[in-house]
Amino acid sequence: MSVKKSKKISEIDQEILNLCNDKIDSLSDCNDDISRIRKEAFKKYSKNGLPNRLQESWKYTNIHKKLNKIPVPDKIYPIPVNVENFINNFDIMRKLKSDNDIVIVFMDGHFVSELSLLRGEKEGISINFLSKGNIPESVIELIVNKHHENDDVLFDLNTVLMQEGVFIDVSPHNKVDSNIYIIHIGNNDGFFNYRHVINIGESSHVNITELKVSNRVNNALYTSSIIWNVGDNSIVNNVKYQAHNQSTIGFNQQYADIGNGAIFNSFTISSGSKLLRESRNIKCNGEHSEVSISGVNLLDGESHIDTTLVVSHKAPNSISKEKYKSILSDRARSVFQGNIVVDKIAQKTIAKQSIDALILSNNAEHDSKPELEIYADDVQCGHGATTGQLSADALFYLRARGIDEGEAKRLLVHAFLSDVMEEIKNKNLRDVLRNVMNSMLNRVSKGTLNV
Amino acid sequence: MFEIKNLNANIQNKQILKDFNLKVNPGEVHAIMGPNGSGKSTLAHVCAGKEEYDVKSGSVLLEGVNLLDLEPEERAVRGLFLAFQYPVEIPGVASMTFLKSALSAHYKFNGKKELSTPEFIKLVKEKSNNLNINDDMIKRPLNVGFSGGEKKRNEVLQMTLLEPKICILDETDSGLDIDALRLVANGVNLLRSKKRSFVVITHYQRLLDYIEPDFVHIMSDGKIIETGDKNLALDLEKTGYNDYIKKDI
Repeated sequence: MSVKKSKKISEIDQEILNLCNDKIDSLSDCNDDISRIRKEAFKKYSKNGLPNRLQESWKYTNIHKKLNKIPVPDKIYPIPVNVENFINNFDIMRKLKSDNDIVIVFMDGHFVSELSLLRGEKEGISINFLSKGNIPESVIELIVNKHHENDDVLFDLNTVLMQEGVFIDVSPHNKVDSNIYIIHIGNNDGFFNYRHVINIGESSHVNITELKVSNRVNNALYTSSIIWNVGDNSIVNNVKYQAHNQSTIGFNQQYADIGNGAIFNSFTISSGSKLLRESRNIKCNGEHSEVSISGVNLLDGESHIDTTLVVSHKAPNSISKEKYKSILSDRARSVFQGNIVVDKIAQKTIAKQSIDALILSNNAEHDSKPELEIYADDVQCGHGATTGQLSADALFYLRARGIDEGEAKRLLVHAFLSDVMEEIKNKNLRDVLRNVMNSMLNRVSKGTLNV
Repeated sequence: MFEIKNLNANIQNKQILKDFNLKVNPGEVHAIMGPNGSGKSTLAHVCAGKEEYDVKSGSVLLEGVNLLDLEPEERAVRGLFLAFQYPVEIPGVASMTFLKSALSAHYKFNGKKELSTPEFIKLVKEKSNNLNINDDMIKRPLNVGFSGGEKKRNEVLQMTLLEPKICILDETDSGLDIDALRLVANGVNLLRSKKRSFVVITHYQRLLDYIEPDFVHIMSDGKIIETGDKNLALDLEKTGYNDYIKKDI
């Protein structure tokens, strides 16, 4: 396939198109469907290129300002962590460790078997990888369907370039006690593309934690898409913890289809990143399904985190709750775009959204754009958004009791976050994440987060 | 030991305190009365270090140290306590966490060993009982959902725990019914000692029935225009402020 050069196209657009072109020319997928959708996705992507600010959903995030070159490795750094004690590198894992934890580690776009613990066959969990070729039919179907539904150009880009990913299939009626961890480590410079699929059979219960961390000050660009299919009456607790350095650019896409009576709880902590776009598209397809999407964004330096969320209610009697809090310092910027769509059939929907931002410096900026699209006439939907700074009166009150300014600010920042943390249903996990956040916030006193 | 000398302070370029002077010896209780807008609350806030006021000149000395050179928290640990007219509600900050942080800061400054958590809880419970503050109240977030009376009792609890040298009570009687007023006043009276002084700012003589002052000052237009004993407050109740203000002019 050839790529036409146009004068208008930016350097980065051209670079990405060339990369896609090379990929399509050298396709080595074992699966014909995957090869086919890569080509289709490339066709779609090449028409548009990277999104720009003229597009409504990209109004507040300017990719071109943050990304002008695909990072390439100048030298290769070895696996940095102690393999023996790998789990101990992460508080979340160390403190919640159970004997049967399943740990799937990726570094710079590749699966790292030395660091991973793949077990679960006995527990009715099957684990496959995109790179290994033998992709189950159910996974192919989910990938193909999502490809056809999709209208996000970055998801198309991910489809063209996806190089590695895990496919987790949980059998029906399966209460999985162990934690499943999917870990991405950024170690070297480069452009990495992940595609994961998680298919959960009916009436099952799983806890899946995603960790995305930068190990060094590497220059990474990545796209990472995850497709969830949550079967009827299943319960999923998903935690995402993302802590990147100030030069990483990430585009995450999450798609979730939620079945009848299923519960999907997802809590995200994001910090750092030069640019992070969190696109989430959640569909309550089943009656009486319940979704809770919540999170905390901690931004400092020149970080830019954009959370763009669409929750669609496609069946009656479903409930969705979105609650996000952002704390910004320095020259950071956060964007929250939250759209709740209630189809005509989805009567008795309850949908709530609340977005709060706390700005600690004069040069930080937060933009909130809540949207409601309601076609049913018997629903309860609401949204609220606040943006503010620490209350001078509260700060003075604390200081007037002898509490120094730094400690007073720390108390108030914690107070701001206290209710969103309650969204984490599991108390142990909540306590651990609270501690993680404490250590992230311990430099708030200096007006900067330095996560 | 506590002395305000020639204090001039502005808010948004408007002068509020005009060469204000006051000397308070250890153990004394001074009442400052005055009409709305006379600068009483400004005085309290300037002493405690609120930022929005612009101090032009003068000094506020506590045991010889000029508090105006210090941050609000440094003034507090050195022994100045402002009981707020409107204690701030802070959702998400547990009352106990707040009390512990405040007490720790004071202990640290005074070189005292920090209390263990059980010791701290025991101390708070003991002091709370005298003020009719129950467990439920101190388990709630700071001042959140507290009634007017509860907020003021909570101020007195803090004062009791922090053991200040000089207490400035800014209209502590406002918003209180008679029972709550009595409870708060009793709490204050329990703290009276030869070493501790009070400046009680109020509009009404009623509070002074419960907290008996050694001196009563009338404040108008940013300074003290009349000083007397507790009878001055009684006279004032009969005549109103106007007579005194006219006399001053």
